[in-house]
Amino acid sequence: MRAASPAGRKSESGYTMTEHISHLDVLEAESMHIFREAAAQFRKPVLMYSIGKDSTVLLHLARKAFFPDRPPFPLLHIDTTWKFRDMIAFRDNTVRELGLELLVHTNQDGLTRNVNPIEYAPSLYTDIMKTVALKQALDLHGFDAAFGGARRDEEASRAKERVFSFRSPGHRWDPRKQRPEMWRLLNGRLGTGETVRVFPLSNWTERDVWRYVLREKLAVVPLYMAAERPTVVRNGQILVLDDNRMPLKPGEQAVLRRVRFRTLGCWPLTAAVESDAADIEAVVEETLSAKTSERQGRLIDHDQVGAMERKKQEGYF
Amino acid sequence: MPSTPQSMQAGTQPSPAPTTAPGWGDLDGIVHLLTCGSVDDGKSTLIGRLLWDASDLPEDTRASIQRQAGPDGQPDVSLLLDGLVAEREQGITIDIAWRYIDSGRRRFVVIDSPGHEQYTRNMASGASHADIAIMLVDARHGVKRQTRRHAAILDLIGVKRVLLAVNKMDMIGWSESHFRAIEADFGTIAHNFAFEKALAIPVSAKLGDNVARRSAHAPWYDGPVLLDELARVPSRGTTSGGAFRMPVQIVIRGGQDFRGLAGTISSGQVHVGDAIQDALSGREARVRRIATMDRDLDQASAGQAVVLQLDTDIDVARGAVLAAPDARPTAGREIDARLVWLSDAPLEAANGLLLRTATDLIPIAAFKVRGLLELETLAELPATTCTTNDIVIADIALGRAAAVDLFSAFKETGSFVLVDALTGATLAGGIVKAVRQTTAEIAASAFRLSNDMLARGVCAGLAPTDSEFRRRAEEVAIILRAAGVTVELG
Repeated sequence: MRAASPAGRKSESGYTMTEHISHLDVLEAESMHIFREAAAQFRKPVLMYSIGKDSTVLLHLARKAFFPDRPPFPLLHIDTTWKFRDMIAFRDNTVRELGLELLVHTNQDGLTRNVNPIEYAPSLYTDIMKTVALKQALDLHGFDAAFGGARRDEEASRAKERVFSFRSPGHRWDPRKQRPEMWRLLNGRLGTGETVRVFPLSNWTERDVWRYVLREKLAVVPLYMAAERPTVVRNGQILVLDDNRMPLKPGEQAVLRRVRFRTLGCWPLTAAVESDAADIEAVVEETLSAKTSERQGRLIDHDQVGAMERKKQEGYF
Repeated sequence: MPSTPQSMQAGTQPSPAPTTAPGWGDLDGIVHLLTCGSVDDGKSTLIGRLLWDASDLPEDTRASIQRQAGPDGQPDVSLLLDGLVAEREQGITIDIAWRYIDSGRRRFVVIDSPGHEQYTRNMASGASHADIAIMLVDARHGVKRQTRRHAAILDLIGVKRVLLAVNKMDMIGWSESHFRAIEADFGTIAHNFAFEKALAIPVSAKLGDNVARRSAHAPWYDGPVLLDELARVPSRGTTSGGAFRMPVQIVIRGGQDFRGLAGTISSGQVHVGDAIQDALSGREARVRRIATMDRDLDQASAGQAVVLQLDTDIDVARGAVLAAPDARPTAGREIDARLVWLSDAPLEAANGLLLRTATDLIPIAAFKVRGLLELETLAELPATTCTTNDIVIADIALGRAAAVDLFSAFKETGSFVLVDALTGATLAGGIVKAVRQTTAEIAASAFRLSNDMLARGVCAGLAPTDSEFRRRAEEVAIILRAAGVTVELG
């Protein structure tokens, strides 16, 4: 048994101590710890896979946590049927290559009633096709825990979120029923009817996610990289026309612009930014010197004041 | 006392350009920083000042704050934390909030906790994540009862470094004698505790003096400015002293003969070839392989999440603590504990309680409140029950032996939370002050619920190493214990 040495020095055996451990190593280890705790404590977990960069990092960390085994839970994608075609292709490719189980759920009732992001208010559309759909899927499969990629730095209402976020029956988030979390201890013992959302990326920032994508050489959906795409400008936002389901208004015309996305979602609700960053390195460089905050490109958040807090109480991720 | 803030203006340098130039690469490390104090003490202004002077704020945010500056040209940096303040005022959720500041090559995680007495529990839970704490006081009022209480909580929860930010020094004309008096009061308080560092710094968060840059108003102060002191804290991931500990989270199988024990090393380090012991059984093995997805490692240290493959199967599963053979945790049945009562409700009945350690969940046979710690005087008041925000002195008898360390030496294997078996709620967070070993007679009188027995019954079809097997076994044990039977699992 070798003597333990203080940090930052070399031990007698010549091993360099851990001073080179970077903040990404610390975050990675913490996330793996969270994945393992959840897998050990919950009966039937699922990983919410939304195809974007956060999900990509989340999935990568899940693979690390259970290596050399595969993650002991399936992926779940809530498909609104309005995702970019590139996203769906990326999703199917990822699952095939890694040999993972993917569950896809769409709110069939919403689909039958043709609830779409063009004619419906964004908040209503999101509620029916994402929030309700998610609850349906969790109930249908009886999942008691769902991993999500939410980060505390995303938005003020998330700054107080727990790593294990408890939901009452009906998936409601009650701020008063959240459990204090001390040290590295995570208490996942469920009360009757309770389920939990697990956030392994709680302490990551947007920059960390991009840095990690770069460091680990992770493939991301090509939409994050700049390319010539057919666009229309509506309400000051650049929208990419991913198919022909959105009729142009009088005076609007499709124009090819060199754009990329900072976040991905349903295409009529996701604004692009003009950019020349055509590869990951350029995207990361642009992001690290970004002048505005990440979610500006996501139209639903502008819908009303306090939108996120309210959506969360209703069960939105 | 005192010159107005206006007259101070002349000597204050305009805010410098941000000192950070974030690279693509990794930062050197993460420091978790707890801020405690009330809004009145200028806490939002202090955190805002760190953001303003020492981080790479988005340009649009910076411009917007600058536009709202008053006639003196000073930006109101507390606006950077506006959302939080509004929430406080509305009294919606009083809770700790997490913020992330990159300054130079460091990531600071700012854990913001409310300071008032009714939020002792919030502060304690925030403190459990902190490497250093900043306590804020208003220079006009000096050290208060609250400061003493805060110091006691920090000490109890194991925070080793505390800074007293004596704020609003501009309001007392940067009076050295005032500051020295406050510094002396603080020294008297800190003297009672086991802090490695306790330092008072005269600051003006509003004007930025001695936060990220040295004040021109206090030539008599030759100590460090706040940011320098924060930058000196050893970061997470760089402390690997102490004996080896790894609580086992799960067993991972890969391929035919790979059985790995997954966990985060909580103390010390481990090398391939090292002998390790299961803390409870004392069974010993050597580390054959330290596996990660990237590559196998020769050695791993505290904070790293790894999978250990051993050279012999010593039959351990989730809940076990792997340890250095010459310094393993106690297989304890009775714990002398200090707890922060977190629940909204008082302790109801001392049954139906579970103790959650790093990765184990242990039924509690008896929970006895011995007294309450009075934070301002540190007096131990006799008591038999406890409620929200109490610091509880308790004796805990466990239903079976568990691997337990003293908190003073091993934070992660010496701390626990108390869980309500029925609702699952976290009732309290606690630390181990002393632990008594398994006594022969308790062990002998226990009913042994063997794996064979379980495998023929409720655990049929499951391997004893499965978490589901253990979960069901615990459930059976809880029912038996509720009926007064002392049960040993295994």
